[in-house]
Formats: sequence, C-alpha cells, structure tokens
Amino acid sequence: MSGRDASARPAEGVDLDHVAEDAAPEDPAPDDDAYDYEAGSETTVVARTVVRFVVPITLVTAVALLLQGHNLPGGGFIGAVLTAAAVTLIYVIFGLDYVRTAVLGSPRFGDPDDLAVSIYRWMFGLGLALAATSGLAPILFGYEFLTQAVVFVEHVPLYGELEFASALAFDLGVYFTVVGALLTIVAEVGAE
Amino acid sequence: MQPTPEVVLAVVFLPFAAAAFVPFVYRALGERTAYAAAAVALVCFGLVSRLYLAGAHGTVSVEWIPSLGVSLAFYVDGLALLIAFLASGVGVLILTYSGGYMHGEPGQAKYYATLLAFMGSMLGVALAGDLVALFVFWELTSLSSYLLIGHYTSESDSMYASRKSMLVTVAGGLFMLVGFVLLSWASGQALGAATYSVPVLLDNAEAVRTALENAGLFVPVLLLVAVGAATKSAQVPFHIWLPNAMEAPTPVSAFLHSATMVKAGVYLIGRFRPFFLPEGALPLGEWTLAIAVLGLVTMTVAAVLAVGSTDIKELLAYSTASHLGLIIAGFGFANEYGAEAGAFHILNHASFKAALFLVAGIVAHEAGTRKIDHLGGLRKHLPITAVVATLASLSMAGIPPFNGFYSKELLFEAAYDAAVHVGGVGWLFPVVAVLGSVFTFLYSIKFASLFFGEVPDELGEVHRPPLVMLVPPALLGALVLAISASPNTFLGALVGDVYASVLPGGGHHSFTVSLPTELTPYVLMSTITIAIGAVSFPFYDRLHRGIRAALRGPLRANWWYDGAVDGVEALSAAATPRIQNGLLRTYATWALAGVAALGLAGYVASGVSLPAFTGVGLAPAMVLVLLVAVVGAVAVDIAPSHAAGVLTLSILGFMVAIFYILADAPDLALTQLVVETLVLVIFLLVLDQLPAFYGEGRLSRTVRDGAVATLVGAMVAATVLVTTSATPADPIAEFLVENAGVPAEHGSVILNAGGGGNVVNVILVDFRAFDTMGEISVVGMAALAILTLVRMRERGETQ
Repeated sequence: MSGRDASARPAEGVDLDHVAEDAAPEDPAPDDDAYDYEAGSETTVVARTVVRFVVPITLVTAVALLLQGHNLPGGGFIGAVLTAAAVTLIYVIFGLDYVRTAVLGSPRFGDPDDLAVSIYRWMFGLGLALAATSGLAPILFGYEFLTQAVVFVEHVPLYGELEFASALAFDLGVYFTVVGALLTIVAEVGAE
Repeated sequence: MQPTPEVVLAVVFLPFAAAAFVPFVYRALGERTAYAAAAVALVCFGLVSRLYLAGAHGTVSVEWIPSLGVSLAFYVDGLALLIAFLASGVGVLILTYSGGYMHGEPGQAKYYATLLAFMGSMLGVALAGDLVALFVFWELTSLSSYLLIGHYTSESDSMYASRKSMLVTVAGGLFMLVGFVLLSWASGQALGAATYSVPVLLDNAEAVRTALENAGLFVPVLLLVAVGAATKSAQVPFHIWLPNAMEAPTPVSAFLHSATMVKAGVYLIGRFRPFFLPEGALPLGEWTLAIAVLGLVTMTVAAVLAVGSTDIKELLAYSTASHLGLIIAGFGFANEYGAEAGAFHILNHASFKAALFLVAGIVAHEAGTRKIDHLGGLRKHLPITAVVATLASLSMAGIPPFNGFYSKELLFEAAYDAAVHVGGVGWLFPVVAVLGSVFTFLYSIKFASLFFGEVPDELGEVHRPPLVMLVPPALLGALVLAISASPNTFLGALVGDVYASVLPGGGHHSFTVSLPTELTPYVLMSTITIAIGAVSFPFYDRLHRGIRAALRGPLRANWWYDGAVDGVEALSAAATPRIQNGLLRTYATWALAGVAALGLAGYVASGVSLPAFTGVGLAPAMVLVLLVAVVGAVAVDIAPSHAAGVLTLSILGFMVAIFYILADAPDLALTQLVVETLVLVIFLLVLDQLPAFYGEGRLSRTVRDGAVATLVGAMVAATVLVTTSATPADPIAEFLVENAGVPAEHGSVILNAGGGGNVVNVILVDFRAFDTMGEISVVGMAALAILTLVRMRERGETQ
C-alpha cells in the first residue's frame, strides 16, 4: 500500500482525471523538501480530497471524545484509536512517505531511526510515564497508588462551575500510549 | 532453652548476604576472596557453636505466607545442629582449601558466590522447621549444586553431569513436596488445622499417622518422602548422578557431594524416622522394609561399583553413596542400635570422606592424573597427605580402633538384632551388610595402597601441595584420630542429641561404644568382613575387571537414564517442527485448540451446568442485527479472496457495534466501531503478505480447521453462558453505579467517589485504574515487540 512499491505494481486505482492531473509537472529536479503529492499515488482524487476533509474532523472528534469521556461516552482509549485511525487513513491514501516528508519534514526514507516511528515511540513512552506519574502523585499526599480526585472550581466566568478530574491525566496517559503504540505498529507493518 | 531468633536467622541468611557481595569483594581482593568467604563460614560456625553451647532446643518462627499456613520456621535440635556444624565447619576448611586449589581457574567470583549460597541453603535445610521452608532450601541446594557441577561451562561432560544431577535431585524433591502436602493435609484431618510445622507434626505423630492410615496414604507418603531422600543421597537406583558430579572442582565434591548436600537425604530420613517409626513398631514394618532395604542394597551395590571404578574420585563417589546407604540402613532398622549407627556414622563419614576427597584433590592437582592405574607410591612425594589418606582409609574400611569401625559395628548389631526378631528372610540383613562391608574394605585398602608400593611409569612429576591445601585435610585427619581415640566424648557432646532426635518420643538419650572384649555375633561379623577382605585383596584387579565386564546394557542405571533423556529429546525434536513450523496458522491452530480444549476440560472437570434455555427475549431490531451478523459470518467462510473475506468480516464487526448501540452501551459501541475500522485498515495493509490459499484447501485441512473452529466456538459459548448465569450474592455493579457519579452533596474536592457521569470511563480510569495501567503497558510492550521483530528482520536476523 505504501508509495514506494506502487511503481512495481499496475496502478489499478488510477483513473483518467488522475492521469490528466499527473501529467502537468515535468520538473526534472523537484525540490527535496516539496513532496510530490501526485507522483506514484495509486489512490483516486476523490479519496484524497475526502481524506483531507475527514482527517481534521476525525482528529477533533477524537480529542472531544477524550475530554468528554468523564461524563459522556468516550475516553482515552476510544479517542486514541480514533486518532490512530485518522493517521492510518493518511498512510493508506497518501503513503508512508507523505507523513515522513510533508507532515514531519524529514526527507530521509528508509532510515532505521526514522522520525515518525521515533516520535511514536516517544509518545507511548511518555504516555506510560504520564499514567504512572499520575498514579504515583497521590502517594505524595498520603493516598494509595492511583487514587483519583475531582476538584470543583466555582464562579468561573462564562462556565459557572467547572469540574477538574485528576483521572484526566491518567486518561491522557492512556491516550498517548495507545496512539503511540498503534501508530508504531501501523508504520512498521506498513513499511514492510 | 529456646534458641535466639537473631542468631538462627543470621546463621542461615549471612551466607546468602555474603554471596551477594562476592562479585564486589572479588574485584577488590581477587583470589584472596576464598579467605573472606572462609571467614564468613567461620562466623556461621561460631554462631552455630553459640547455639550449641547455649543448649538451644526449640523453634524460631517468622511469618512468611500466613494465608497458607506457611512460616519461615527454624527448628533447632541435635540432628539440626550436627548437620549445621558439618555445613559450616567443613565449609571453612573447603573455602580455605579452594584458595589454593582454584588458583588460576576461571569463574572464581561465581564459584565463591555459589559455594556461599550453597552453605546458606544447607544450613537452611538443617535448621528448617517448616516443610515448605525445608523444600525451598532443599531445592536451593540442588540449584547451587547444579551451578557448581557445571562450573566448567565449556566442557560437555560438566554440562551432562550438571543436567543429570539437576534432573534427578529436583525431580526427587518434587516427589517429596507432594509427600509434604499430603502430610499437611493429614495434619488438618487430625488436628483440625493443617500445618507445615515440623515440630508440631512430630509432637502429634500418632494422630497424624492415624489420619494418614485411615486415608490409605501412609505408605504413599512414606515412599514419596523416601524418593526425595534417595535422590538427594544418591541411593540405588538414583545413585547415577553422584559419580558424574565429580566433574565439579574437587573442593565442591568434598563439600557438597560427600560431607553436606548428600547428607540432606539422610537428614530427611532421620528427621522423619520418629514420625514413621513409632515406639513399639514391628521389627519388619513398612519403614524398615522400605528404608533399611534401600540402604543395605545401596551400601552393597555402590561398594561393588566402587571396586569397579578406574578414577579415584569416581571410587570416592560410589563409596559416598555406599556409606550414605549405611546411614540410611541404620535409620531404617526399628531398633535403637540402628539409630545409633546412623547418628554416629553421619559424623564419622563426614570426617573421613571429606578428608579423602581433599586428598584426592591434592593428588589430582599435584600428580596431574586421577587414574587409579597411573597412581602408586605417592608416599615419597606427598608424605603428610599419605598419612591423612591412610588414617581416613582405614577408618572408611571399618578397621578397629578407628571411628568407622564403631559405627559399622553398630550397624552389624542392628542388622543382627533385626534378623533375630524377624527370622527367616530377615537373616539376609546381616548377610548383605557383611557383603557390602567386604567390598568397602577392598576399595578402602585400594585407595590407601595408592600411596605405597612402586611408582608406576605413567606417573609424571609430583609437586608439593601448598599449605592452604594441606592444612584442611590434616585437620580432618586429626578429627578422625580424635573421634577414634575418644569416641564417647563425641557421643556425649554431639551424637547423643542426634540419637535423641531420631528416636520417637524425644527425651534425652545417649549411648557409649567401646572396643569389643568378648566374642559377640557382630564382632564375628566384623572379623569375617576383615578376613574375607584381606584374603580377596590380592585378587582386586580381577574383581575390578569382572565388575566392569558385567556392567553392560540394562544392568546399568545409566542405560535407563540416557535412554529416557535421549527419548524425550528425540520426541521433542520430532514434535517441534509440527507445532512450531514458522507458519502463523499452525501456531494459531495449536494455541486455539489447546486453550479451547483446556477450557472445556476445566468446565467438564468442575461439573458446571449450562443454564436452561428460556427463550430469546430480545427486541426484533436486535434479532435482525444479529441475523445480519450471522449472514456476514457465513459469508466470510465462502469469500473468494482475502479482500472479500476481510470486508465481510467487518460486516460482522459493525453489526456487533450496532447491537451495542441497541443494547444501550454507547462506549462499547464507539470502541467497537473505531477498533473495527482500524483493524480493517491494518488487515488491508498486510493483506498482500498473506499466503493466498483461498479456495484451494485440502479436505483434511478444512475438516481440521472446522473442528478447531467448532471447539473454540463451543468454549466461548460455554464461557459466556456460564459466566452470565452466575449471580454473585453481593454484585459489585451496584457499588460502581452508586459511587461513579457526583454525589448529591459534595465539597470542592471529592476523593471517595468517581465524580463522573460516564460509569464505564470512571471504572477504567478510577476504580479499575490498576487494570488499565496493566493493559496500556501490554499495548506498549506489543508495539516494542513488533518494532524489534520488524527491525531485526530488516537487518537480516532471523533468530
């Protein structure tokens, strides 16, 4: 599915519109930083256009699910899987290189320490650390490991009463762990 | 008086603590670590002496696993103190001797750490007052023995030997554990509360024994404990590991495989003797039939094998098994002479055999060979060693007035006494005892003769041993002399208490020995032994060759061991390619079938019954959704390609999500939806890597897969039915629902409630946050594992 083996395969998904658009740039030496959005892609323009709209909406939805999880359906895990699904969608439609070069700005391809995966690795490491820290913090106050508290703040302008749950920190830990882990898997398996 | 808890705990745990520091000490002191370790052993010896001098007798207990009735209890009595004296005292000598012997050898830090850990384990075995603690220390001695036998890790003989000792002794230990558990169960029947405490079991021996007999478990428990002792003390037919264990450095052989570890089995027999052999027991009860016969057979067979040995350490190894047989036989007889023989011979054997092993170490180290044929006339080069060897050999042969004579005489007395009371077949006891002693006499004299006579041509240059290697055997030789000169002092001071420990009823007993002044049947037996031995010694070489020629095929216990191990290895080598052939589907088949079969077997074994069918009771919409899901499931099976299969599978997944929505579970539905989407995408990513065998499966494979699928389905269905029909008395759901939300009245900070409207999420991040913590750790680990595997493959590593 990744862009690099597309040339070896017949481009089954390429339709006429795509070819017409594709024919335009004839620049023999493209800029290293600029990603060639069309070359070698076997996905349709419809898919690419839809993804451009859907991914931001999905990401916002994911964050909303994460934040509202305490009181409404949602939570860290659901938000994380949704985020991962959104990024995976970019992978599927635009290929692995796109995230590496256009999103993260690293032109190095095939580098074993490639930026995307190392970011994901950091992400799940940090997530685990955050979850563990949020569990350890109550011990400082003399409570048991992973005791959660809720704080209500009154008289906030516009909102009135606001509820802050310490569980959110733990949930964020869950979120980052799951996003990092899933994307590591997707990126590595996809690169295979 | 009661033992001081601190002292007892220090005796056992000081060596372990010291072992942990050995690597650092070794970095600072190098080869002189030996003396530091010897100092630790000396401290232990001092602590044991302090217990002894204070007349300590009783139990020290530290709580360990109270919920299972297991405590870290130590029981101090005569038997425990004697073994503890041996472990720490011989430990001092051995560690000092190692300073000379191990000069320039590899892996010294590991060696000293393991020796110290062994010493701690052995002290633990000796002092353990709880069956579980006893078992743990027991297996720790096996473990350290394994490491020490395999000290030369690059030699295949060492590896073979260490594996053999590990398999035999640990397997025996497991038998013993089963025996202990049964004992504890019986104590629960008899005393109302199950206990693992050794003194409690011994004090209530009568009641526990009756409970065991009523359950028909008396003989099985006796045999289970006997198997544990026999494997550890190298009794026939489990003696095979001991000669191989001589691959270990000689100090180890002297310490573990003559003076201490192999005494653990003897200790166990002595410890349980008052339990299994009550006062007034029959002269030929179950105990005598099992234990005395085991001991006498071992004594004779091992002595014959010792005559057939070609290597001095092999000779000493078989001789050790033979003498342990003597002790066990002594404990096996239901008369007090037997108890006396066993108790006294523990001390005697340790004194002369440890000395002989150290002598063998000097010979191997300085003469460069251990072959009996190549050795002779060593007296000229090793004069002091020769004196020690001669003394110890004469004691081993049972020649008066040396200490070995007294304990052997007591055994003859016990065997004769048993024969008189049993009559008939019982006369085999003294006959076998004499026969075994004749062979003991032969190999003992052979060992001593290595120091006399002509020097063979094969013997090269012999060096003088360093002082640190000479002093320990000389001290042990002096001990042999001291016991020989004044046996009754040692009997009164040490052995008498041991004797009291192995007699039923406890109380203080002691006994004395003296050189015979009149002709008794057992004096006659000793005379016959020495006479036959002396007459047949000129034919030693012929006997030696005859024994070697006769040892072929199934007559050797090793033939059985090697056959069994090779067979298991072949079976494993044949099974592995079938179960783990590198194809994911094979792994999945075995894993799923295994889990399902075990799960179903568990349900059948525990006799759960499935709830009766009470109608569907679902809304029509739900039924419709489930029907679509079933259609999707069927479609997966007949899908023509992977892509179609995956897409159809997601129909099933999305229908389940809809089912959750209809069942008022929005969180589950959301999770199901996003996971389903992500799985679909990942599936599509890896799809072209999968083998395409759609529609070309053979009938046999289809049938097999169908069977596995049915099995898994049945297991899952049964699990769902069983778990959902369970109605706990106090369901936790109510607690969760009551406490998840914001309480009606609350301050600005809530700690005792979730404070969230979404119960599911509050459970995940608050009530059951520990579970979630574990789950995200697993997710992280899975990612790391995949990362590692993929990267390894990219670099061309396949293993």
